Amino acid sequence: MTSIAVHGLHKTYKGALEPSLKDLSFSFQKNAIVGLLGPNGAGKTTTISILCGLVKADSGQVNIFDFPQDAAHRETIKRLVGIVPQQIALFPELTAIENLVYFGNLYGLKGKGLRTRIDEYLQIFGLEKNGNKEVRRFSGGMKRRTNIIAAILHQPKLLILDEPTAGVDVQSRGMILQFLREYNKQGVSIVYTSHLLEEAQTICSEVAIIDEGRLIVQGSPSDLIEKHSACGNLEDVFLHYTGHAVRD
Amino acid sequence: MLRLLATIKKEWLLLLRDRTGITLLFAMPVMLITVMALIEDAPFRDYQEVKFDILTVDNDHGRLGRYIQEGLQSSGQFNIVDSVKGQPVTEQAAKELVNAGEYKICIIIPQGATGAIVSNANKIVNDISRRMGMSASLPVSTRKDSLNVSVYFDPAAKKAFKGAIHQALDNFLTQVETGLLMDRIKLQLKKGDIPETDTMMIQLKAVGLKEQFAGESKQVDVISNSVQHNVPAWSIFAMFFIVIPIAGNMIREREDGSLLRMKLIPGSYLAILAGKMLFFVGICVVQFYLMILVGIYLLPLFGLPKLMLGNSHAATFIVAACIGLASTAYGILVGTLFKTPNQALNFGAISIVILSAIGGIWIPLEIMPPNMQFIGHLSPLSWGLSAINNIYLRNMGVMHILADVSKLVICAAGMLCIAAAIEKRRMS
Repeated sequence: MTSIAVHGLHKTYKGALEPSLKDLSFSFQKNAIVGLLGPNGAGKTTTISILCGLVKADSGQVNIFDFPQDAAHRETIKRLVGIVPQQIALFPELTAIENLVYFGNLYGLKGKGLRTRIDEYLQIFGLEKNGNKEVRRFSGGMKRRTNIIAAILHQPKLLILDEPTAGVDVQSRGMILQFLREYNKQGVSIVYTSHLLEEAQTICSEVAIIDEGRLIVQGSPSDLIEKHSACGNLEDVFLHYTGHAVRD
Repeated sequence: MLRLLATIKKEWLLLLRDRTGITLLFAMPVMLITVMALIEDAPFRDYQEVKFDILTVDNDHGRLGRYIQEGLQSSGQFNIVDSVKGQPVTEQAAKELVNAGEYKICIIIPQGATGAIVSNANKIVNDISRRMGMSASLPVSTRKDSLNVSVYFDPAAKKAFKGAIHQALDNFLTQVETGLLMDRIKLQLKKGDIPETDTMMIQLKAVGLKEQFAGESKQVDVISNSVQHNVPAWSIFAMFFIVIPIAGNMIREREDGSLLRMKLIPGSYLAILAGKMLFFVGICVVQFYLMILVGIYLLPLFGLPKLMLGNSHAATFIVAACIGLASTAYGILVGTLFKTPNQALNFGAISIVILSAIGGIWIPLEIMPPNMQFIGHLSPLSWGLSAINNIYLRNMGVMHILADVSKLVICAAGMLCIAAAIEKRRMS
């Protein structure tokens, strides 16, 4: 069974000269940790936006756990998916607990059950002492961790993370990656984007490299490295497919 | 319901965290209303209530000069000034002082004015006496040229002010002339067979004027005071300024990504929006009642009249809530339409000032030119003010505010639909 299946996805934003996605197709197995990789402007964020129903594709098909991403199934898919956006999507003036209670309430969670779950996650992410601190006073790493908790309060089956470790210190990154491994073991499928290829090589069971709106290559990091004898690591493979030219 | 309540709580917490913001949200409207009611008090008063220094040069030294000076003084409108720095004012000096703007008005009573009036009265009495077969013996001057009491105004004086002064002086001249005529008539009649001890009373005014209540209001002059216009008018203006925090709130949520997260969560975003709207409508209603309290309790401390409320508190609440709804919807539209807080702030603030100016907040719609009145009636602020005036000034109830309230609700719904269409277009 696939967690995500995408077929023939096209998307051109209004006023854009070039399409963001050109016949993009891929599928990810359930319970895998998949890295969706690509240089700037490759179409990663557009793909994630379409996956979670924020942006409509011009054409093509998206299935999440075999549910088509359409108006009829959008709510079902939202319940199955947790999204960690690249932005810190929290209210900076509220405390971590106030943020999490609010987003929990929006998911329909309330009362003692919600508080217990929030306390558990704060503990896991090492934020138990800072729960009553306003998010704006948090360090970058603390904000990232709270951002992840807000996306998993409803216990999704698929977690999509857009650069979850961008701008965080080594300790926070280690904690986040460790959590993702543990979370995956609980049967949650994980898709994440990152520019840190060493990190992707360590954590991902599979990677999909996209560029200029198309899938370039897909496979396990070890298979891809093995396939290209000149490449010593995933970064080399990435550069092999996407080139050394700087992207804006 | 949980989403709605959670959103109200979240907005409340966000407001509480911004202590300066919450203070400004309530303190600024109070300051605005107090200042506007105080500075707009004078224009709202009749000229009869305002006291002016009036330079007088009495070249007549007769009864007319005395009558005019006493009449002006006793009216309570004027302070008669006939000497400056201990010196009697000359005609030339008076004109210069008025021209320099040191005095607003100067009256020159010409030499022989009393004589001319007395002569004219004598002539009338003689004519009447002759027609009645009585002897006509009162002295009449042979002077042919007519005399004028000259009035000089400060060149900066407003037309309405000049008109009011003209009217007042004309009234005094008529009174003096009538008084002298009556005296002459009495004098002539007493020459006949009427005993000296008979005090003749001639009451000239048989029919007077009395202002009556047109509606149920017991305060006929309530509409003409500054508090009664300014408190509701500027309350509506201040309520519409909720556009700024709402638009800022919407743009901040979009920028910091929290809007994105809200949209990723299953369930209708409308419930979240409804919670946000309900909270801000509540803030507007609290603002409104706070400003009403200012009109009742604070402004009288500054010597202004107390705000008179109508009898229908339910109607007042409905109007306050609907004004809050329209202003909140406008805030959501501005917050959706613009991408940066700067854009929203500039557009929001200036558009409210324009809507308030054309909507009769600054000056009543009734005194605007007809085409501006037509445009003014399209402003949501004018609908709110019209509804409040119906309650406060005309003592009307819920049924009489339905038309204005419906316009506010329809306008709010329209603005929300436009905001939804913009958001939908943005997503696609």
